[in-house]
Formats: sequence, C-alpha cells, structure tokens
Amino acid sequence: MEDVQVVAMLVRRCIAGDAAAWEEIVHTYNRRIYNICYRFAGSADDAQDLTQDVFIKMYRTLPSYDASKGAFVTWVTTITRNLLVDHFRKTKQDRMTDSMDTPASEHEDAQPLSEQIPDQSAPPDAHIRRREVSETVHAALGKLSPELREAVILRDLQDMDYREIATVLKVPEGTVKSRINRGRAELARLLQRTYRQVM
Amino acid sequence: MPDQTRNGMQCHEFDLLLTEALDGVLSGVALDRFQAHAKSCKACGPLLAEAEAGRNWLKGLTEVEPPASLVTNILASTTGVDTQRLRTAAPLYQPRVSWWEQVRASYVEPVLAMVRQPRFAMSFGMAFFALSAIMTVAGVKPGDAALTVSQMVEHPSSIRHVYYNTQARIVRYYENARIVYEYQAAMQRFKRTAPAEPGPAKKKDRPNDTTQQPEQKQERNYSQTENQLILASVPVGPYLECCDLPVVSVTTDRRFV
Repeated sequence: MEDVQVVAMLVRRCIAGDAAAWEEIVHTYNRRIYNICYRFAGSADDAQDLTQDVFIKMYRTLPSYDASKGAFVTWVTTITRNLLVDHFRKTKQDRMTDSMDTPASEHEDAQPLSEQIPDQSAPPDAHIRRREVSETVHAALGKLSPELREAVILRDLQDMDYREIATVLKVPEGTVKSRINRGRAELARLLQRTYRQVM
Repeated sequence: MPDQTRNGMQCHEFDLLLTEALDGVLSGVALDRFQAHAKSCKACGPLLAEAEAGRNWLKGLTEVEPPASLVTNILASTTGVDTQRLRTAAPLYQPRVSWWEQVRASYVEPVLAMVRQPRFAMSFGMAFFALSAIMTVAGVKPGDAALTVSQMVEHPSSIRHVYYNTQARIVRYYENARIVYEYQAAMQRFKRTAPAEPGPAKKKDRPNDTTQQPEQKQERNYSQTENQLILASVPVGPYLECCDLPVVSVTTDRRFV
C-alpha cells in the first residue's frame, strides 16, 4: 500500500517545516479521506468540511505520529474516524427528523431515496442507471448505525484488512468481522425493502 | 442469532467464518462444514445471502471525486492561515526527540559551535605546535608510542616487563639520592669538627640610636622558666593580718607565649 520509508521521510520533512512535503501528503490522502467522510456523513458539503478538519488535525498532531505503532494510512484513518464520530454525535439531534424521503446526498443532484430507485420499465442509459443505483446504495448506507457503517466503509470501500480496521475502531478483530457481516446484511435488507416499496 | 449447533458448527463460529467465506479464503473441511451449516440453519442461511448481497452492493459503489477546491482550501487552512495558530499550539504537541538528537543538541552542538570559533582554532593550533615542538626536542615519536601500545595489547607480558623496569629505575634513583645525602652529611660533620676561623669584629654601628643605652636583647628563653615557682600574692587587708598567708606554688605545664 504505502512505502513506509517514503511516508516516514515525508512526515519528518513535514515536521521540519517543509511545505512541499505537507502538500504531497495532502495530495496523496485527500481523495481517500474525502471518500470516507462522504460515505459516512452522506453530504458533499459535510464531507468537504470534515476533510478539511481532518487535515488541520493531522497538521497539528503530525509530530505525535509514531511509525512503530502502525502504518501512516491507519493513523490518518483513525483521525478521520474519530472526527466523524464526533461530528455524528454533534449532529445527532438534527437527524432525529430524517426519513427515507429526506435527500440523503447533495453530491450529485440527490433525490429522496424512494425516487432514486431505478425504474425498470424505462430503459435508461447505462451510465445514468449506474449512477442512480450508486446513489440508492449510498442513501441506504447512511441509514445504517454508525458502528456498522464505519466497519463496512473501511472494509468494502477502503479495502482495509481486519487488523487495521480493529486498530482504527479500537475493537477486537472478531467484533470487526461481526459488524461487517451485520452491516452488509442490514444494507441488503434496507435495499430489498426499498425496492419492494417501489415495485 | 440463536447459538445452535448444526453439522458440528455453532452459529457463533459461522458468524466468524462468514467474512472469510465471502473473501474466498475458506477452503477444505472448514468450507464444507460452513456450507452445510448455512443450508441447515434457518438463521445463518439467510444471513449468508444477505451479507453477500450487501457486499456486492457496496462493491458497486465507485469513488467520488473530491471538489477541485479541496486541496487549495486544505493548504490555505493549514500552512497558510493556520500557521499562527500552530505556533501557539506548538507546546501541546512536543515532537518526539530521539536520545541521539537530545545528546547532539545538549553536548555535541555547543562543542562544535565553540570549535568553529577562530579563537579556538588559533589556540588549538598553538597548542599543537607547542606539543609537537616538545616532542621533537624530547625525541619522542608518535609512532613509537603507538607501537608500544600495540605491543602491550598484543603481548600482555610486556606490561609486566615495563612495570619491573620502571620499579628498578625508581629504586636506582633513590639509591643514588641516598648516597648523595650521606656524602653531604659527612661534609657537614667535617665542617663542624674543623677549628673555626676568627671572624671580623662586629661593628656596633647604630646611627639612628639616640638613647645612648646598651642594646637590649629581645630574645627570651622561655623554656628556662618552665620549672620556676610562681608565687601568688594577694593584697593584705585588715582582716587577713592575723593569719599567715598561704604560699601557692604552681608548676606550669605549658609555656607562656
């Protein structure tokens, strides 16, 4: 995944005040962090703000990174996950009134989930259809509990191994696997229910 | 999930193996038992199907493209605007410093800073030339010293040899010194026993003396008064006239200085 020595060198240069090294880190990891934030928060605006916050926190705490304790990408993901959990707790009250008809995504002209289900009768363009399915799954993902959501995002969207996920979530590997199974199953049930409503 | 045992596998075990089965890493007997349990268990069978479906849905999600302004905003909020905040927050996050860096900062750098000064270089140069001049005059070559050290390291018996040589040299030195001292003592005895020649008469010339009195000798031999009696006297009052006064004799054990 990442060349440990190259990343360690980048971090050292960064701590020494090398702006170019920091810029390289931002370029390397912004896409990954943005995607985690987007899939977890569900909103493009929130994802952008959260990604920015993650990098600010990274920049401040970079000297505390210890290469012997784990890979840099795990450390970055841990920061991201902690910020996302904080954000989730802060905005819990706002989501109390959310329903399946609430726009779940602002990223690509989001529509209510019930309107995002692809209409089987109309023969849409394949690209548009894929996009619609993607939006539907994204909206369903937002309905999972945060524990299950973060587990499946890190496993199925970020391709992290179970040990890394256990490190990030600070739970045993067995718990990680159990959450992933439950998250996947819950997502499938949500999507089946939504399709059944439309059909 | 009810924890039932079917085909020798519990539901809890099935749950743990589910991720491995979906990852395709389960094989052999374990895979057979897993599949048998999935077919026979009413709770675990649907779970396998749902987990597989959910995984496939998630795999269909593609990465989203971050906004073009994201990197610019991040850089502006960290290295740009945030620089001052970082400086104030710096004490909260002390960088990890290795022991070598600590030693270098505490000891090596100050020494190097001193060495780099021209004054030190000049002093060092002078000391070096002085030492080399002394060694040249004394006939000592650095190569000899290095050779001696290497010989000592290679042959430990040579250390003993050097020790005995040094000891013998010291003994010879003191023997020679003893002969010299004995000779000097004999010379002094000879001088004392020889008749003294009459010296020139002492001229009592005291130009500044205006008293016209003979010169008083200042030296006193207090040792002679050591055993003399000291009589204590008391003033005779009206009430003591009838009595004989006691005579107190004191022998002093210490000198009056």
